Amino acid sequence: MLKLYHWEPNANSGKPMLALAEKGVEYESHYLDLLGFDQHRPEYLAVNPDGTIPALVHEDRVFTESTPMMEYIDEAFAGPALRPKDPADRWRMRWWMRFFDAYFAPSLSMIGWSVFVGPSARQKDPKELAAAIERIPLPSRRVAWRKALFNEFSPDELEESRRRVQFAIGVLEAHLAGSPWMVGESYSLGDINGFNLAYALPLSQPDKCNDQTTPHIMEWLRRIYERPATRQTWAKGRTRLAARIDILERA
Amino acid sequence: MLELYHWEPNGYFLKPLIALEEKQVPFVSHWFDPTAFEQYGSEFPHSVEIALNLDREGPVLRHDGVQICGSYFMLEYIAEALPGLELYAADPVQRYTARAWGQRLAAIGADVCLLGSVRYLQPRFARGSAAHVESAVAKIEPLERRLAWRALLDGGYDERALAAVRDRLGFALQRIEAALVASHWLAGPTYSVADIDAFALIWTLPELVPELVNARSTPHILLFLERMHARSAVQRALGYSRSGRPQEAFVPGAEPSRWG
Ligand SMILES: N[C@@H](CCC(=O)N[C@@H](CS)C(=O)NCC(=O)O)C(=O)O
Repeated sequence: MLKLYHWEPNANSGKPMLALAEKGVEYESHYLDLLGFDQHRPEYLAVNPDGTIPALVHEDRVFTESTPMMEYIDEAFAGPALRPKDPADRWRMRWWMRFFDAYFAPSLSMIGWSVFVGPSARQKDPKELAAAIERIPLPSRRVAWRKALFNEFSPDELEESRRRVQFAIGVLEAHLAGSPWMVGESYSLGDINGFNLAYALPLSQPDKCNDQTTPHIMEWLRRIYERPATRQTWAKGRTRLAARIDILERA
Repeated sequence: MLELYHWEPNGYFLKPLIALEEKQVPFVSHWFDPTAFEQYGSEFPHSVEIALNLDREGPVLRHDGVQICGSYFMLEYIAEALPGLELYAADPVQRYTARAWGQRLAAIGADVCLLGSVRYLQPRFARGSAAHVESAVAKIEPLERRLAWRALLDGGYDERALAAVRDRLGFALQRIEAALVASHWLAGPTYSVADIDAFALIWTLPELVPELVNARSTPHILLFLERMHARSAVQRALGYSRSGRPQEAFVPGAEPSRWG
């Protein structure tokens, strides 16, 4: 039996959700509430001791890195191929996924945690929050949560993240101006990865990502939004985070 | 035609040298000196991907006109596109494991490049950076790639920041140690790109951070390094050194994570 532990269809959780939907693979869905710290509860730490989401369990093996997890999904299951055959195109797909994962996503995520995750989680009792932080297994995640909960982001680092988001949007727009998909003529994990990062940009960064300034990004997002697998995946969302996808509805 | 642009056999530059020597495919070696900023000159390959490469200073592989950069994905490319010894197991679980290590090792590599650059490269700049260094650095794009050099020129890392880097590295190295207790090779029963990746990034650590890598704290890492040194491909790859001290050849690498 295939199990996926995930939060909203968004960022890292959304990557395997959308990849599985595109492959047409059924899975047992285990929704964890990230803002309620479900990912640090003992039941989940028994699955992924790092306490990060997502985690995929297949034939008793646990997979916890979302981008390599998508490649595993493509290799281990039947269904349409989600990676190009040509090694140079595959390299290009991976280059873009790293650009998304290690450059674009962290900057966007820092902004998201400062305006959304931190304030949402802060509603809880401070004692409960302090205990919740103590339970976080990875030191790097503990630092991240502390920063978000106590709003310890410096103006400089937020400004640098905004600069990078703007820069990355420009790089992506230039790329999509010359190519319908991230890599060549077919839809791939590169698009799935990018969509999970970028689907809400027209809402969260309306001045930077819109029909006038970034028409190719907008068209690319809408084309992905219209795929049945995307509809099906975002229907699993439970909060207003996933509902942001409605912005991609054509007028 | 296969060409590799590389520097001294260490870190990112060492990875493709080992992989190509394992494959025993002939290639043209173009040695360049990143500390002389030759990678920004007209002789060096240029592309959007090379300019925005998150390893920052690293090797470029040119294969029949295709320019490959990014050292882990270069290993995957070599494994998938070239004949010779298999560097990836057929089993998807092992391949996942190798790729997951690729991600974690990218973070380790960032910290190692930083510590190595501060130890060996910064003192060279501290002796007075010549006007040509200043002007070369001023032209580097994108901004964060320029700032990584600037920070070294300006002596921008204090002991507290470096101690935090060493702490984080120590934690990550213990994960490698734990994996090597369970298996000789990182991604499973067979040798793979993950082992090349790990070796290239950590082989200098017994000298660079002996407090973290030593017989008491990381005995299995030391055994792994010995196993790797015993491979003739690794010996041949290290033989590309011109300085005779490749373990001291560092330039700014990937950026340590800013967030999460
Ligand atoms: N390297 C992992 C990172 C996973 C990760 O950090 N996930 C975030 C959510 S997108 C998480 O679990 N955050 C919750 C926490 O740290 O408590 C991947 O790519 O999947």
